[in-house]
Amino acid sequence: MAQRYDAVIIGGGHNGLVSAAYLARAGMKTLVLEQRHVLGGAAVTEEIFPGFRFSVFSYVVSLLRPEIIRELQLPRHGLDILPLDGTFTPLRESDGPAAGGGDYLWRVNDHGRTIRELRRWSKLDAEAYEEYGQLMVEMARFIKPILAITPPDLTSLDPRPLMPLAGLARTFQGLPERQQAVFVQLMTMSAADFLDQWFETDPLKATMAASGIIGTYQGVRSPGTAYVLLHHYMGEIDGAFRAWGIPKGGTGGVSNAIASAARALGAEIRTEAPVARIIVKNGRATGVALEDGEEIEARDILSSVDSRRTFLGLVEPGALEPEFEEEVRRFKFRGSSGKVNLAVDRLPDFTCLPGEGEHLRGAISFSPSLDEMEQAYDDAKYGQFSRKPYIDMIIPTLVDPSMAPPGKHVISCFVQYAPYKLAPELGTWDDQREAFGDAVIDRIAEFAPNIRDVILHRNVQTPLDIERTTGLSEGNIFQGELSLEQLFFNRPVPGYARFRTPIRDLWLCGSATHPGGGIMGANGRIAAMEVLKARGRKAA
Amino acid sequence: MANDYDVAVVGGGHNALVTAAYLGRAGKRVIVLERRARVGGAAETSELGGVRVPRLAHTVGRLRPSVVRDLDLRAHGLELVAPDVSAFAPQPDGRAITLWSDQARTVDGLRAISTHDADAYPDFDRLVRSLGRFLGEIAGQTPPDIKSPGLGDALAGLKLGRTFRGLGKRDGHTILRVLPMAVADFVAEAFETDALQAAIAWRGVQYCSAGPWSAGTAAVLLGDSAGNDGGAAGQTVFAIGGPGAVADALAAAARAAGVEIRTDADVAAITSRDGVVTGVAFASGEEIAAASVVSGVDPKRTLTKLCDPVAIGPSMLWRAGNYRTPGVVSKVNLVLSGLPRFTAAAGDDEQLLRGRIVVAPGIDAIERAFDASKYGRASESPVFEATIPSLVDPSLVEGAPAGTHVMSVVAQYTPYQLREGSWDDDGRRSSVGDAVVAALEALAPGFGGLVREREVLTPLDLERDYGLSGGHPLHGEPGLDQFFLWRPFLGHARYRLPIEGLYLAGSGAHPGGGITGQPGQNAAREILADLKRRRS
Repeated sequence: MAQRYDAVIIGGGHNGLVSAAYLARAGMKTLVLEQRHVLGGAAVTEEIFPGFRFSVFSYVVSLLRPEIIRELQLPRHGLDILPLDGTFTPLRESDGPAAGGGDYLWRVNDHGRTIRELRRWSKLDAEAYEEYGQLMVEMARFIKPILAITPPDLTSLDPRPLMPLAGLARTFQGLPERQQAVFVQLMTMSAADFLDQWFETDPLKATMAASGIIGTYQGVRSPGTAYVLLHHYMGEIDGAFRAWGIPKGGTGGVSNAIASAARALGAEIRTEAPVARIIVKNGRATGVALEDGEEIEARDILSSVDSRRTFLGLVEPGALEPEFEEEVRRFKFRGSSGKVNLAVDRLPDFTCLPGEGEHLRGAISFSPSLDEMEQAYDDAKYGQFSRKPYIDMIIPTLVDPSMAPPGKHVISCFVQYAPYKLAPELGTWDDQREAFGDAVIDRIAEFAPNIRDVILHRNVQTPLDIERTTGLSEGNIFQGELSLEQLFFNRPVPGYARFRTPIRDLWLCGSATHPGGGIMGANGRIAAMEVLKARGRKAA
Repeated sequence: MANDYDVAVVGGGHNALVTAAYLGRAGKRVIVLERRARVGGAAETSELGGVRVPRLAHTVGRLRPSVVRDLDLRAHGLELVAPDVSAFAPQPDGRAITLWSDQARTVDGLRAISTHDADAYPDFDRLVRSLGRFLGEIAGQTPPDIKSPGLGDALAGLKLGRTFRGLGKRDGHTILRVLPMAVADFVAEAFETDALQAAIAWRGVQYCSAGPWSAGTAAVLLGDSAGNDGGAAGQTVFAIGGPGAVADALAAAARAAGVEIRTDADVAAITSRDGVVTGVAFASGEEIAAASVVSGVDPKRTLTKLCDPVAIGPSMLWRAGNYRTPGVVSKVNLVLSGLPRFTAAAGDDEQLLRGRIVVAPGIDAIERAFDASKYGRASESPVFEATIPSLVDPSLVEGAPAGTHVMSVVAQYTPYQLREGSWDDDGRRSSVGDAVVAALEALAPGFGGLVREREVLTPLDLERDYGLSGGHPLHGEPGLDQFFLWRPFLGHARYRLPIEGLYLAGSGAHPGGGITGQPGQNAAREILADLKRRRS
């Protein structure tokens, strides 16, 4: 006879593990099923080349909810986030004197130093940066609670779920008028338009705007991209814990810490246990069947995989209304990013600031101008990978030497844009993988010509590879495009944004739900809270 | 000092005239002050080569029926005519998408192109009408007061909430999902044929500094369908005598209500004392005292050029200065010696060219045209909407040689802000006309030979001539960031600007641009409410 659990969680990504930990903590008999041999989903560390360990996909931690770190006591389970200091934006001689050719823009965590650096570029910008920073902290303070609420259904006649919104409305009314206006702008404007109101230095705007397009199929001039600018300030208000950095041992370190916490709380975790389907009886999810035929019964099933795979892949056909399936099909994925992982025997040498130094220890942003950022997106709109892509480069070995043999380094390059759907003339990503890798290296070489000479190994992850390995549909790292119409009460299906699904006892707990993707864990936590509430259990 | 007038209206565009007429009918002493020689603003019929052309706007189907009714515009000479064909979209391959006001006829025609799309059209039409009706109702309402302690209740329980629930659960979910969408995605949910997608999506980007892949353009499409009977095909209604006839009827209605109208009256400043408006001043030094001032001018110009910066305050000035007015539209007006023959019309030009002729061959074609404007360049292959109003209104070409027609073209994208050079440079202006004529030549061989007169208005010309900031015909981009509760500014969407007694009645106010008269009507309602309150 099949075993029976209170809760089975499909997928051992960070959100699935967070859900498991909270459910187990409340005394539920909980099981996590992960298809791969490693836990973490897109937050995994793997030794791709002997001696070189990589955060294969997701590469930094910026938004992991502090309450999760605290409540699950993650530092005790090995979580150690090493700070990244600053963002370095190199420029080329060919950019010309007016655009700061041959120079660089380097912002660091030391506020005073950053202001001095900005003053070198523009006195006005240095002044505006202070005011901007203060305003953004205020905005982050206001928006933070939204990340922790369950989105209401506005068409519902039941007023109760609207209560948190009424509270927010009151808080909003208490804000000074200018902050109210800026909040609206953040929710609706493009990152470029928003920043244009404050700054004149192009590389500064381009680098800041880059955070607005990461993981999206949008450009810096696309409306709706301003909002993510706030994320950088979320960390600041959380105080005690440094929110932006790389986990010791790679992003797999986060997953392992959460898994360890979950186990300690009593959750059971099985790897290499791919789920083939969700068993539905009389409109109720009763268990799961593994690919090897084993069946596992559970009171509640939580799926941390994306909505397309859950509803169109795992739920037995016929269990859902065609209209609902249509809505699921409509939800846009459109992965747009790739990853190039490099093993090198020396560090890259930037023409604008030669030699090894502090500037290599943070993020290195290949974002010389808003135009180049936008042109990279233009390419993608027509099904091409960017000829001059935006790259967010990190050299983890400079803060965590354990990732490579002594003296050697690993380099992580997050690359945009790499559209999942290529133009027909390009064929498939299997045809274009190396050409894409070459384009990335060419791009780096514009700024650090020695890159070609230092590479020992190269690993290219296209959106297709991300989909194949992690199961993320179309390689979308956020389990669905973070466009305005796919957020909050629309995520992932209008009317089903409350972690519940049309099938009783089947829940979603991954990035496909509010508040979206990133190594945040909020989704998994709120989903677990909803399940516990429905079962009349205390969250412990 | 006694006021000369109860209300002084700055600018005589169509919305300003609507407000003035409503206020006049309510017994207020009103004066309209127009800088140009005639009122109407963008609703203008002008002379070109001996015939009459719609100088800026060309169709007037969005004019609110309630405005026409309340102000008796028909009695004041307004005559509207709607051809059977709504839009004709000729394609480079010689085929065409034709959208008729009659849904069944459209479906029949689509069947030759795609059975899937023909089958999908009625549902899409229903959806656009349903959502358009909802937005039409919202358009007629003053956005809620965000300062009111009962804001949450107002949103949930009052008129707005009722209107929303009237949509039903299904369309209610749909509109929340659809409004912030890119119009390219919206049309692709219904249709597979690129040419059809583009012919409809065009309305989501017309007059906008946005491409079909820009978020929020689905809202523009639905806004264009709000409060009119156009549905998925879109409204195509002409005023006999051109759009200037709307202005004439409004001016006549206003005068009949006792409103005084002064043209060639260039207001230099809106005066105020201690945060309360006192009237207007002209460059000559002449002043007119009025208890209330209504601006029909765009909000950026109103606040940054006409008002006292001290009265506005630095924070509001910053916001007004950052109000987005990225004009991208050029207007090309042509006098033709004969009716063009479009390959795709297959001899049926006489009928098919009566509506809007949409030259936007594919979503990518529109997007690529938009791309150029992002980098401060005019599109080499512009997309545009043309009309030949003389087909439905021969009075426009009265006295001209037989066969003469006028063609009006709204062309995109030609950014106000050029990265290199200026619109005044030699050949810059005419290059826009050349590109439009070349595109038409490709679709209607021999077109170039028909052109007898040509007038090109770039965004710079629109700014200079009509006073439109950035040359933006809609008084500001209809983006998600300048919408409803925050059009033009959050906290000032209820037609009241930061100086007491100063109101905004033009397209910069909710529900935005187009020849609708709706902002003007809404503003009049709010002004009258204030005047009543002040008296009691």
